[in-house]
Amino acid sequence: MAYREKLAWLTLAVMLMTYSVYFLMVALWIAPAPPQGAAMLHMLVLFAGVTVVQAVLVAIGAALLAVRARADGEERADERDRAIARRGTHIAYYVLMTGMVLVGLVMPFGEARWKIVNAALLALVLAEATRHAVVVLSYKRGWHG
Amino acid sequence: MAKPPISNQIRTLRFLSGEMTQAELGERVGVTRQTIAAIEQGRYSPTLEAAFRIARVFGKPLEDVFCWEGE
Repeated sequence: MAYREKLAWLTLAVMLMTYSVYFLMVALWIAPAPPQGAAMLHMLVLFAGVTVVQAVLVAIGAALLAVRARADGEERADERDRAIARRGTHIAYYVLMTGMVLVGLVMPFGEARWKIVNAALLALVLAEATRHAVVVLSYKRGWHG
Repeated sequence: MAKPPISNQIRTLRFLSGEMTQAELGERVGVTRQTIAAIEQGRYSPTLEAAFRIARVFGKPLEDVFCWEGE
């Protein structure tokens, strides 16, 4: 398996685990008693905490993978890696745009602020997860650029 | 994903070049071993530059390495 495929698997798995915990907490604890005003800051601090945990786990895993890849001379991206990365970013862009249209143009007409904030965070997470999922699939099934 | 209408003789040419490994070919072309494997299996179509580099490694013209099989 290519180094960047392993990296995409790692990032995807860690993202799904950590952000599932955050959105589960939102559904179980925040939704029943929605925060108002400055209390929403606590919600964002929670998200930031989850993001830090996710970043640390990915950094540790990536470092371990990089050591192995360096030994095999696979650390530098080649043309296939770049083509696959472009495809992932390209498809994720549409997920992000859809999310941002919903969050910025539709939800403000009738939804509470905490829902809008969390929908924006969800859109970011989904777009990033899509990017990594497309990368994984492209390595697995092939991509011709 | 459907295979592109391009086949290649890289596996055979590696064999004829003294069982050159995918890693060795990748190093000479400037791509990873996995990319050479993907090209051999028809899961990736190399850029024109990489295709020429591969052909040069084997000392063959491009059409001896890659073959168009479409209409």
